[in-house]
Amino acid sequence: MMHFDPVANLQLLVSGLAIGSIYALVALGFVLIYNAVGVVNFAQGEFVMFPSYIAATFLLPGVAVFGTVVHWQLPLIAVYLLVIVLMIGFGLLFNRIAYYPLRDRGWLPVVISTIGVSIFLRNLVQLTWGSQPLVLPPLFPVDTIAVGALHIRPQDLAIIGVTALLIAFQYVLFERTTLGKQMRATAQDRTTARLIGIRVGRIVAITFVYSALLGTISGLLVAPLFTVTKEMGALIALKAFAASIVGGFGSIPGAIIGGLAIGVIETFGGFYVSSAYVDAIAFVILIGVLLVRPSGLFGERVAEKA
Amino acid sequence: MRLDRKNFLVTTGVAAAGAAIGFPAIVGAAPEPIRLGSIPCLTGSNALLGSQEHDGILLAVEQINARSDKVYDGRPFEIVEEDATNDNQSAVSALNKLLGENIVAVVCPVLSTQVQAMAPVMKSHEIPWMTGGTAVKNTQLGVNGMFRLRASDGITAAAMTNFAVKEKHAKKVAILHASDAFGTGGADQIVQNLKKLNMEPVANEQYPKDAKDFTAEILKIKQSGADALLMYIQNPSDTAIILQQLRSLGFAPPIVGSPSLGNQTAMETAKKNANGAYAAVDFIVGFNSNVATHFLTSFYQRFHHNPDVGSGSGWVFDSVNMLAAVYRKQKSTDPKQTIASLKSLKGFEGVLGRFDADAEGNMVHSVSIGQIEDEKLHLVKKVSA
Repeated sequence: MMHFDPVANLQLLVSGLAIGSIYALVALGFVLIYNAVGVVNFAQGEFVMFPSYIAATFLLPGVAVFGTVVHWQLPLIAVYLLVIVLMIGFGLLFNRIAYYPLRDRGWLPVVISTIGVSIFLRNLVQLTWGSQPLVLPPLFPVDTIAVGALHIRPQDLAIIGVTALLIAFQYVLFERTTLGKQMRATAQDRTTARLIGIRVGRIVAITFVYSALLGTISGLLVAPLFTVTKEMGALIALKAFAASIVGGFGSIPGAIIGGLAIGVIETFGGFYVSSAYVDAIAFVILIGVLLVRPSGLFGERVAEKA
Repeated sequence: MRLDRKNFLVTTGVAAAGAAIGFPAIVGAAPEPIRLGSIPCLTGSNALLGSQEHDGILLAVEQINARSDKVYDGRPFEIVEEDATNDNQSAVSALNKLLGENIVAVVCPVLSTQVQAMAPVMKSHEIPWMTGGTAVKNTQLGVNGMFRLRASDGITAAAMTNFAVKEKHAKKVAILHASDAFGTGGADQIVQNLKKLNMEPVANEQYPKDAKDFTAEILKIKQSGADALLMYIQNPSDTAIILQQLRSLGFAPPIVGSPSLGNQTAMETAKKNANGAYAAVDFIVGFNSNVATHFLTSFYQRFHHNPDVGSGSGWVFDSVNMLAAVYRKQKSTDPKQTIASLKSLKGFEGVLGRFDADAEGNMVHSVSIGQIEDEKLHLVKKVSA
């Protein structure tokens, strides 16, 4: 029989919070876009994967791009800044191509459009970089900090810390800035927002950019731990989507709490129940929460357009 | 005759038809290509394996077609490829499509779960089927034309278990495996081999498809007090991530892995985290024949990266060359005759070594145990069934 081990539980908690933080960031991307335009962006996982490939290309030696081996090896900070700039452009392009032409045709064409972009990006990555997994270097020179029997990965702490900073930044953005208030107004009622002079199209574009940047930061944080593959965003997005529903689709605190909860519960579930059923555990929780609270933990209404 | 529009079209049409019928007879018809079916996983999470197989088949076909007599009598190979993707249903659909393409043999897949899903279809199509799936039961599914060009899990798992217990003196063996047919089949074989040694695993953990965080599994293995870990995993990316997490969570006992641990991609991805780990593999660079050396050189020249020989490019390269050798000898691609020839094949020298067919269609009967150091595998010992 398994005995209670406080060190193991602390280890599980750190890992659970780290992976849960990634779910939370990606879930925030889902929620922000849903609030802004009323649809689920099924390319959110590719917002995690695509920038990781770009970063690996500029950072690593000997990356094959369209069969040509490149050795750019730019400094880490320069690569991060470059990826962020490129992903700002990507977010604008995504808005312009996948959302804007279909914005008046109801939610279904937009959802299908995001699915199309997701498939396109995965195939583009396969064609460009092939199937070889790439490994981004960790942010810190040491892999592990050992405190007695406890082994903490600095990368896990970085993930948790950066997520906390981003949540704080987002709070300030939405509560204290004009831009944030305009984003909230657009999310609540686009028609009224337009009537009071908010440039809704621009706010929606900014939302797509912000969502792409959340995915980018998630990707750059997990890539050193997960390796960069074209599938890396898919499972994260699936869990993040579940997290946003558990939290109450459309609720920003719900996305954060939901992400952290799923990360922690599946890690503890894998240890105390069975690692073979970690996915099942997460989705049983999802169903359980929806049975008790159909609108999710913090939601006010049932998601209609998933 | 007045050449109006109608007459012009009729005359031109008749002339064109005559030319089309008569032209090959005048210049001599091109020899009919030999259509070879290929069904690797080109998309999905196992696309890495599939792309390696695609490259291995392509290289073999290009080299054979560059010969003056090609396969035989000037007949070249023509690859007919379908994507087995990442799930069994799609793989079976792709196979059905492939079988309608007038092919003489099928090469791939390497995933046992797909081999087992395709087996009922292949039972009713008696053509040679060159597979790389290593689950023991694959060759016991009653498919007459199935051949396996890699060591079965029975051989690999026995070699891993015996190495951990007899050579590394492990008393508490833990198992970590993928939840697919490959992983569970391999883990079952390890458990059976441990029973023969009057032992049971102290932990037997499996992880779900696409998992990325293995903290729970590793902590359970650590808590079990294991003094050796046997890993049965197909996906090189999973293998690399697990090795990284094992090291970062302070797991120190010997690690012995299935072939994917020793493949080039896993070693290059895991980097220093793979140092010291052992792998039971079909192939170790530097301990093989001239055939293997030529393959490694020509592969790198053609694709600008090193091949994953055992589980990726090598076995399919050998499959195509083996078929070509049989066709050349019998001057025919008749499937039944080819199956009979392959069943009696002995001593074929390929990249992976010597192939000898047994009654079940197994062609490989030994593995090597290697130890990883700086992204290279060093031979520790060879183990025969």
